[in-house]
Amino acid sequence: MDQLLQHALNATILGGTYALLGIGLTMIFGIMKIVNFTHGELYTFGAYMMFFFVMVLGTNFFLGLVMAIALGLLLGALIELALLRPLRDADIDTTMLVMIGAWIALQNTQQFTWTGIAKSINTPFPLDPLVIGSVSVSWSRVFVFVVAIMMIIGTHMLIHHTRLGKAMRATFQDRDTAALMGVKINRIYTATFALGSGLAAAAGALLAPIFVVYPTMGDAVAAKSFAIVILGGLGNFWGAAIGGFILAFAEEFGAGYISSGYRDAMGFILIILILIFRPTGLFAQRERIG
Amino acid sequence: MSQAPPRTVLEIDQLCVKFGGLVAISSMSFHVDHGEIVSLIGPNGAGKTTAFNAITGYLQPSSGEARFLDKSLNGLKPNQIAELGVVRTFQKTSLFGGNTAFENIMIALHRQGRQELFGSLLRLPNMHAEERRLRDRADEILEFFGIAARRDELASAMPYGEQRLLEVAIGLATEPEVLLLDEPASGMNPTETMSFVRMVERIREQDITILLVEHDMRMVMGVSDRVVVLNQGEIIASGPPSEIKHDPEVVRAYLGTSAPHA
Amino acid sequence: MTSPGTNRLAMGRFAPFAVLAFFALLPFWMTDQYFLHVLIITGIFIIAAISLNLLLGYTGQLSLGHVAFFGIGSYASALMSIGFDLNVFGWMLVVTPKPVWFCILCGIFVAGLAGWLIGKVSFKIRGAYFVIVTISFAEVMRLVALNWIDLTEGPMALNNIPPLTLWLPFAGETTFWSKVPNYFLVLSIAAICFEIVRRIVVSRVGRAVIALRENEPLAMSVGIDVTRYLLIITVISAAMAGAAGGLYSHYVRIIDPDVFLFIFTVTMVIMVVVGGKGTLWGPIVGGLLFGIMPEALREFAAPEVQWIIYGVAMIIVLIFLPQGIVPAVGSWLQSRRHGSEPPATPEPPGAKGAADPS
Repeated sequence: MDQLLQHALNATILGGTYALLGIGLTMIFGIMKIVNFTHGELYTFGAYMMFFFVMVLGTNFFLGLVMAIALGLLLGALIELALLRPLRDADIDTTMLVMIGAWIALQNTQQFTWTGIAKSINTPFPLDPLVIGSVSVSWSRVFVFVVAIMMIIGTHMLIHHTRLGKAMRATFQDRDTAALMGVKINRIYTATFALGSGLAAAAGALLAPIFVVYPTMGDAVAAKSFAIVILGGLGNFWGAAIGGFILAFAEEFGAGYISSGYRDAMGFILIILILIFRPTGLFAQRERIG
Repeated sequence: MSQAPPRTVLEIDQLCVKFGGLVAISSMSFHVDHGEIVSLIGPNGAGKTTAFNAITGYLQPSSGEARFLDKSLNGLKPNQIAELGVVRTFQKTSLFGGNTAFENIMIALHRQGRQELFGSLLRLPNMHAEERRLRDRADEILEFFGIAARRDELASAMPYGEQRLLEVAIGLATEPEVLLLDEPASGMNPTETMSFVRMVERIREQDITILLVEHDMRMVMGVSDRVVVLNQGEIIASGPPSEIKHDPEVVRAYLGTSAPHA
Repeated sequence: MTSPGTNRLAMGRFAPFAVLAFFALLPFWMTDQYFLHVLIITGIFIIAAISLNLLLGYTGQLSLGHVAFFGIGSYASALMSIGFDLNVFGWMLVVTPKPVWFCILCGIFVAGLAGWLIGKVSFKIRGAYFVIVTISFAEVMRLVALNWIDLTEGPMALNNIPPLTLWLPFAGETTFWSKVPNYFLVLSIAAICFEIVRRIVVSRVGRAVIALRENEPLAMSVGIDVTRYLLIITVISAAMAGAAGGLYSHYVRIIDPDVFLFIFTVTMVIMVVVGGKGTLWGPIVGGLLFGIMPEALREFAAPEVQWIIYGVAMIIVLIFLPQGIVPAVGSWLQSRRHGSEPPATPEPPGAKGAADPS
């Protein structure tokens, strides 16, 4: 029982960042119809920026986090402007392949810059875990979870209560009509991609102090993000949030009770099952757009 | 053509299509006899293309069915329906754009071939004979439609009017029993339309039944044996063009104040 | 897609023989063993790229799990040649080592079967979903290879895989220890795969899948059972990738779960896309380029830098030369041949398969 509770707690904490990753990816797909293969690289980028600010420059931990997220937003905007804008009307396969090219280039640039040696980041949190009854969790994980949830709520507020969010939703519904209504589609696309990338970078920056930072860390994360997004239905905000938690639970319990070797396989197995039995995702009501 | 008693080839029986709560077609019934040219007309959004999609398997009717020679088409995939001999064209220009006109027809001659994978891999002797037969047939069809000069041009690079001809040529190449043409003349200029009307008549001479959706009233009135008028998902009139032209309800609902000049 | 009577490049008919002759004569004057090794590996990847092109280029399905078939072929063939025993629900399956040629055939068969299975479940979906499900399939295979240690040795790798032994005219019983026979083996298989694709794409089956690529609703409307033909082509493509995998394991003689890495799919995709998808020569041109370029760059650039160059090259080609090198060269040659004679109608930029100088 205690073990079960502990697994559930771990899964919940993990689910927060997964949800963050999933939301970033699903927004980009929903609004721009782009399968973003650079998502994992933005995650890695966020982690390395965290390392750069906190460990290299010696910046304050929290300031480093903010800077890493800000640079993630910026890099996302740059990718959008440089690669996706020229391909605005290209078919989905072409943009997917371009994003794969960008993934390769980004990953190897990070490998070149930081070498393959894994890096770790110090945290300002107490080392003693927070103990609640029979279960325990480290303070740094609690911090990650709280920030992730705040960012999810923040993103939701942005989409539902700002002018930018309104324009995003209009573009999501129908790009051409939105353009006719005066929405600046190019600007929305850049903003969306930057925001989605910023969320990925945030997840990377948040998790970097808990795990270690290495150049290919984004690959598994990208794959998991795809799984999360497929679970929730491509383009579905809350679907992605819930999908993040489902994947976290599946992994945690799969690893705990089946075999830890297949931990990373859970996401893929879920993808395949979902696509065979319910191709529109678990929560989709509207028609598939892919 | 033949003086045998009319035989119903296509029967639409209380066909109904709903999208969510929206009724696109409510209980539509009509039939098309062998060798007829029947036109389905109606204002935009009346459900004409939806009817085509439901008949040819591109969407499933909510209730009712379409029958071809007494065989229900419900639940069949578009290619199975085409296999039976019910073939449609599309409202928006729809071609194999990256292929030449000739290759477009070769693709459309799929049903006339029998060659499968191993025959092609082993280059069995009958394969060459079949390919030669199909190529000759493709050239014949291009000739028939007067676009043989465009044989080796990319379909996407052909002039618009000829693209529309090529679409009908693709439909005809499948040797259908019933050909459903979805606004084949839209975007054509009057000269092109007139020559297209002659084309439709020549197709009919090949013993092919035609169901036509068309906006060009001159064409509809000139070429049809019967006209079925659809408004807001319901059939409001049907009969020979001369009757339809003067049907008060049609004039009111569809043609508005300006009567057709035919 | 071509048909007799279409304007072909004059060299079209003889090019395959000329290229084959060139590569057949190559080992007689190019005796550097390392260079031959590079060509053998490149050749194996060209076979994989040819198989991917059949799916990606001709049917238009962006399968990013292609390495799964390569890996399945290499594991199946390697395991059959080493022998293994397996406990299947309490029932012992003991396989004694089999002759290598037979094992490669088994690898081809198992890969084809995997193609059929994955095709059966995934062709219900298209677009982004299809891409993601194919990637997932390959990753699951990699994790299975990594974790099913009883069968695959997991990360410890399968080693001591025997090389191919064949009875050859003139040479008698020959074991393919050295580079030269392996080179000719890979060259012949590549030539066979090229010819298989060439025959398929001009046939009725080929037309059916090209129709699917160009316009799926229209293809269905002329009576083409698109799913059926897509499945047939997927099986052929997967089997071909399995052949490449089998050649790989018996040439390199050690394989580990990394043969399932996504990056190998990406390598194949880059070869096909840069060379020209949906053209017969595309995967060969792209394959030679990206097979030999690493060696050329080796002295000047670290592996990361090479990969950065590939990534950027892929992006540049996709943005500025979306059809790839072969169609671009093809239309350039054509325009030169016609000289000042203006084309009858302007070709729209980006028309699919605009030129196929096969």
